[in-house]
Amino acid sequence: MIPGAELWQARPRCLPRAISGWPCPFCLAELAGHFYFAGRAPRLSDWQAQKTTLAGLKRHGELVVVAPHWADPLARLAFGRGLLPMRDEARPDDTAYRRAIEVGILGQHAPELSGWRTVEEKHVGRFLYRVLDNPAPAKVLYDFVDHVDPGHADAYQQQGTTRRTCPWNAHARRSDGGLAGHVAFPSRRFECGRRDSMFVGVTIIDDQDYRPRRCIWAHPPAGGPTVVVFRNVPVGRTVHGYGGLSWLLTRDGAGTPIELTVKIDGQSIGRVVHRDQQGWKGFDLPAGAHAGHTADVQFEVRSDNPDQRDFCFYADTR
Amino acid sequence: MSGRRRFLSKAIDPLIALLLGAGYVWLLLSTVKNLGYARDEGFYFQAAKSYGAWFDLLTTHPRQALEQITVDRYWSANHEHPALMKSLFALSHKYLYRHWHWFPEEGTSMRFAGMVVSSLAVSTTYLWGQKAIGRLGGLVAAVLLAMMPRVFFHSHLDCFDMPVAAMWLVTTYAYWRSLEHGGWAWPIATGILYGLLLDTKHNSWLLPFALIAHLVITRGGKLWRDLRAGRIPVPSALFAMATIGPAVFYMGWPWIWHDTGKRLAAYVAFHMGHVYYNMEFLGHTYWKPPMPLGYPWLMTLATVPGITLLLFGVGLVASLLYAYGGKLGELGRRIGIEPHARDPRRYSNDVLWALSILISYAPWLSHHTPIFGGTKHWITAYPFMCLFAARGFSLTLDRLRALGRARFGPGFVRTRATEVVLGASVLAAPIAITLHSHPWGLSAYTPLVGGAPGAATLGLNRTFWGYTTGAEAGYLDQHVPRNGSLFLHDTAMQSWDMLRADGRVRSDIRPTLNIEASGTALYHHEPHMERVEYQVWVDYGTDAPVHMGVYDGVPVIWIFARPLPAGGGG
Repeated sequence: MIPGAELWQARPRCLPRAISGWPCPFCLAELAGHFYFAGRAPRLSDWQAQKTTLAGLKRHGELVVVAPHWADPLARLAFGRGLLPMRDEARPDDTAYRRAIEVGILGQHAPELSGWRTVEEKHVGRFLYRVLDNPAPAKVLYDFVDHVDPGHADAYQQQGTTRRTCPWNAHARRSDGGLAGHVAFPSRRFECGRRDSMFVGVTIIDDQDYRPRRCIWAHPPAGGPTVVVFRNVPVGRTVHGYGGLSWLLTRDGAGTPIELTVKIDGQSIGRVVHRDQQGWKGFDLPAGAHAGHTADVQFEVRSDNPDQRDFCFYADTR
Repeated sequence: MSGRRRFLSKAIDPLIALLLGAGYVWLLLSTVKNLGYARDEGFYFQAAKSYGAWFDLLTTHPRQALEQITVDRYWSANHEHPALMKSLFALSHKYLYRHWHWFPEEGTSMRFAGMVVSSLAVSTTYLWGQKAIGRLGGLVAAVLLAMMPRVFFHSHLDCFDMPVAAMWLVTTYAYWRSLEHGGWAWPIATGILYGLLLDTKHNSWLLPFALIAHLVITRGGKLWRDLRAGRIPVPSALFAMATIGPAVFYMGWPWIWHDTGKRLAAYVAFHMGHVYYNMEFLGHTYWKPPMPLGYPWLMTLATVPGITLLLFGVGLVASLLYAYGGKLGELGRRIGIEPHARDPRRYSNDVLWALSILISYAPWLSHHTPIFGGTKHWITAYPFMCLFAARGFSLTLDRLRALGRARFGPGFVRTRATEVVLGASVLAAPIAITLHSHPWGLSAYTPLVGGAPGAATLGLNRTFWGYTTGAEAGYLDQHVPRNGSLFLHDTAMQSWDMLRADGRVRSDIRPTLNIEASGTALYHHEPHMERVEYQVWVDYGTDAPVHMGVYDGVPVIWIFARPLPAGGGG
């Protein structure tokens, strides 16, 4: 008998039968499970060894998606920004890609590619490569985010009848707000005022899933809009886009709505009202009679109370 | 029995408890070096240094030290938490580092106090298990507790989470002994220990609910009859807790020596209205109520070794059936439970364990209780779960012996061999899982959810507190340029300062909280913090890390280096 077990002995005689036998096999099963799961996921060196395989599969303009998503940083380190560029990592959506290569581990697939057609599968070690075709890829004619520079665009703020031009600065002071502060303010931007946040430039915000979204920052001033005008844009059938604010800062939904108006050659084709809790929200505005022409496209961002309205949008014509 | 044998038989269990505790401290010390300093540790280092300066003053200028202006000056640091542990960190630092040079590192000298108090939980679990179940049961309970990955992680730190679990356990143990033995020694000890528990962390506010519920449940009708007869049958230990406890609490926390009511009210208000931090659970980041009610249960399942939980379940069910199964009558007979008399001692003991678990988890029955601290917030339940697990172990052992005897005859299964084999097989997985978890303790998950990769896929929290910088100190030392600037992200500046003071990182590396001022950047992964990583991407112009701290194939911390400008040399 176990020393000191007198309290234990008071149990009813038949009680243990039902519940006491099965911990024994469980002990060893858990130990085996530990070693299995600890070694199941590929190591960093395994990822690095995959670089040539991926490079052989990927063609220009194709998207690389890692599944599960938590392994994406490993892929970025192993494959580098040539194969996983920031532009793709922080894409607005997947609609514009004709083809994607999914690098999957642990039997996982990327949910965003679920409707795509598999054209090729390849197992390499613990990795499964799937080449997938987008069943309905959009043909993007012009990506506005790629053209935020003085060669293609101008920016100004309209306050009443006063128009204040935002001069281009290719070497502005970068700044970052950290966890609870503003998103990164890039060095290349149209500067619209003394306050750092008053600019038009390309940055990345966090969406409602804390995913990155590359977009055009356009903070509205008091009493009027911030306006960005892109010159000589090939216009498609629609202006497709998204708007949002950094989710962490605005997820309580307390901010004043923001209006984004899109004009082609001075004529409004639509207005989008954005509320904080909508997160990264899409829009499609028909270009109407402007489709198929080259025109100036103008984005106006305004809010009744512009305080902390750190609006950022993506847009293309398609 | 000779006097010597009697002494040995009395001393053996305290000696085993002491050895278990000392062994655990040794294990913690031998694994402390690559465990970086957690965010909160940085704040407690700072507070402990302030308190330490006051202790110095107290020995040289006692009158001045006791003046309110002086007390407030030194004790206002981190006054949202009581002072016991920070005082111990301070004294450990003062004597073991500064005076006696036992430790070459400041940080380890402060952590040592936390390790010792945490190890008390291991020792006390053994003692209680030994008394209630037997020596082997006590050993199994103690090792199961020590070999929980989260317990092992928190036991290293100069924080309050394992210390409060230890103090809760020790106080409850003293309370139980006071009920068993009567007299005044145990009740007075209970009162003093409760004061120290109050002075450790605010979990202490919950213990009286457990003890009063225990009184009501175990005394039942008798309590009611006593009250109707005008007698107030309060156990002397409860009385001591209500009187000695607050006095000890008051004496141990100089911050409340002045403006006592106002400061106590502020202390309570701080914790009752604690700000909500972010915590990922099943792929969703919670940052405001309603909090998910499944959080503590799933996180317990996902982080406590399965065999510990299984044995806990067996022990708990057995205890429940033992306590109440006799009342099942015919139904009980059908499932093999004969009517039986209940041993009031065992019943009282089991109820106390069960209530300690229930009360520890009780705050998470509300949608409004924050979940940001992860498992550490109900860690006070774990020693009691291990004690029930030891019951389950004992039951299993008993069953195996009976099976062996029935099948192979009375001499086949040798008692010791069965004990050793079953004990080793029960402890093997917890030991393997826990030792493997180091130094990524908060990233470790059990096979039940597929280990760390499974947890990452499920969307369970990967890490918090920014402590994993310590695990990457070697990389930083080798790769950060001379006098280079390092963005610390979630590592507190005070924690970095301690890493540097301890010589664990190069002293020329300049820490900063500004990305734009840095040439190298750390990123500790939590979903809501990803926006910080994106800031690094934009600022550095690259989304590709140069190095990564990976646990079982899951990235935990990654490091970015600012690319050299085109044409830049070196």
